Amino acid sequence: MGRSSTQTATRGKRGPFGFILRYLRLAGIFAAASVSAQLEYRTNFALGVLGALLEATGALFGLLILLGDGQSLGGWSYYEAAVLLGLFTFIQGMIGGLLRPNLNKMAEAVRSGTMDFTLLKPIDTQFLVSARNVNIFVLPNLLTGLGVMGWALAQLPGVTILSILGGIVLVGAALTIVYAVWFMLTTTAFWFVKVENITELFNGLFRAGQFPVTVFPSWARFLFTFVLPIAFITTVPAEVLLGRIRPASVVSALVVAVGLVVVSRWLWLRAIGSYTSASS
Amino acid sequence: MKRMVATKYRDTGRPSKARTLLEVWFANMSAYRAEIVIWMLTGSIPLIMLAVWIGKAQAAGGAVGDFTPQRFAAYFLAAWVSQQLVVAWVAWELDLQIRQGILSAKLLRPLDPLWEHLAMHVTERLVRVPLAIIVIVVGLFIVPGTQLTPDLPHALLYLLSINLAFLIRFLIAYCVGILAFWFEQAIAVEELYYSIAMFLTGSFAPLDLYPVWARTIIEWLPFPYVIYYPVQILTGEANGLEIVRIIAVQLAWITIFGVLRSLLWRRGLRRYGAVGA
Repeated sequence: MGRSSTQTATRGKRGPFGFILRYLRLAGIFAAASVSAQLEYRTNFALGVLGALLEATGALFGLLILLGDGQSLGGWSYYEAAVLLGLFTFIQGMIGGLLRPNLNKMAEAVRSGTMDFTLLKPIDTQFLVSARNVNIFVLPNLLTGLGVMGWALAQLPGVTILSILGGIVLVGAALTIVYAVWFMLTTTAFWFVKVENITELFNGLFRAGQFPVTVFPSWARFLFTFVLPIAFITTVPAEVLLGRIRPASVVSALVVAVGLVVVSRWLWLRAIGSYTSASS
Repeated sequence: MKRMVATKYRDTGRPSKARTLLEVWFANMSAYRAEIVIWMLTGSIPLIMLAVWIGKAQAAGGAVGDFTPQRFAAYFLAAWVSQQLVVAWVAWELDLQIRQGILSAKLLRPLDPLWEHLAMHVTERLVRVPLAIIVIVVGLFIVPGTQLTPDLPHALLYLLSINLAFLIRFLIAYCVGILAFWFEQAIAVEELYYSIAMFLTGSFAPLDLYPVWARTIIEWLPFPYVIYYPVQILTGEANGLEIVRIIAVQLAWITIFGVLRSLLWRRGLRRYGAVGA
C-alpha cells in the first residue's frame, strides 16, 4: 500500500491541480512515515499532556497577575487576552510540530554534505526540506491552545461566525509568516554553516507574542511590528477573531505574509545556487 | 608536554584538583561562547516582562501600585542577570551519562562526578559576564533614572545570595537528573520544571503583585529563593535582618536538596551496578 501510493505520488499529473494534489499526497506520506516512527515512544505522551496543562494553567494565572490592578492589558480584557494566549500556544505548537523537526536539520545537512541527496530528489527541494518530518508530541499543546481559545471566545459577545472565519484566514497568514521567517533564518546555513541555534533567537523574542502588542511601550512596539513581525502573527489574527477588524492591519498582515514567502523563495534559490557541497 | 602538565598538578595536592577542573572547563566553555550568547538571549522572559510592565505602568499614568517604570526596570534587569547566573543543565548531562553508560568511566575517577558538573557550570557563568554587562547598560539607558543597586554592601551580599541560589537550582536539577537511574523520562520532568518555574521564581512579575493566596503558597517553596529574593537584596528592597533571613533559608534549602541528592545518588548507583551497565 505504501509503495503503490508513493508511486502514484511521484508519477504526478498534469495541470496545476494535479501538481497541488501530488504535493499534498507527498506531505501525507511524509507525515504518516514520521508519525509511525514516533508511536514507538508513546509513553512520553502522558508527561507531555501534564506539561501542556501546567503551562496553560500557568499562563492563565500570569494573565490574572497582569490584570490584578484592575486596569486593562493594552486595551484587552482578561478573556480577550486569553484568546490571544490560546492562539500563541497553538502557533508555538505548530512551530514545534512542523517547523522545528524539519528546519533544524537543514543546517546539519549543509554542514555534513547530506544536502546533496536532498537536492537530487525529483521534487521541489524547498518542499522536501520543509515538510519531511512531523512531531506529534506537540499535540497536547495544540489542543490546550485551541481549548483556551475556544473557552475564552465563548465568554465574549462580539464573536460571530464571520469573525471566526476571518480569524482562520489570518491565522493561516500568521503561520505563513512564521514559516518564512524560520526558513530564511535556517537558509543562512548555506553561507554561515553553524546556525543550529539561530532559530532559538527567534523563539526567545517570539515569547513576546503571548501579549497584545499594544501593551508594550512604543520602542518595543516598533520592534515587534517592523523588525520581527510578531504583531501580525498573534495580535492581528486575535483581533479579527474577536470581531475587532482594522482593515489596514489585516491588509498589512496578508501583504507581509505574501512578501516574506516570495523573499524566502528567492533566498532559497540563491542558496542552492551557491551550494558546493561539504568537501569543496 | 603532557608529562609536564601531569607533574605540575601531581605534587600540589588537593586544591589542584579543583584548579584543573576549572581550567579545563573554562577553556571548554570559551569555545562555545557564540552558542552561550544565543542561549542567554533565549532566556529573555524577564526582559519581555520588563517591557510589558513598563507599558502597563505608562498606560496607568505612571505606576502599577507603587511600582514605577524605574523600579520595574531595576527588578527585571536584576531578575534577568540572576536567571543567567543560576542556569543549570546538569539534568540533561546526567540523563545522557546514565542512559548511555558514559557514567561508568566517570565513576572510575577518584572524585564524585558532582564536582566536574559544578566546575562546568561555574566556568560557563564567566563566559556570560560580558553580554550581561552590555544588556544592563542598554537597559539602564532605555529606562533613565533606574537604580540597579543602592550601595556596595547590597551588591556584595547579592553575590553571596545568587551563588546560594545557583546551588539550590543546581541541586534540584541534579536530583531530577538522577531519576534517570529509575525511569527514562527524567528530562520530561525537568521540562515540567521549566513550564512553571517562570511564575514561581518571580521572572514573570515581582511576587508583591501576586494574589495573596498564591504568594502564601509560593513562600513555602524553594523557587522564590532562586530569583525573587536575591533580586530583593540587589535592588535594596531587602535590608538588615531580612537579608539574614533570606540567606538562612537559602542555606536550609541547599542542605535539604544536598542530603536528598546524596541519598538518591547512593541508591541510584546501587541500581546502576545491578543492571550491569
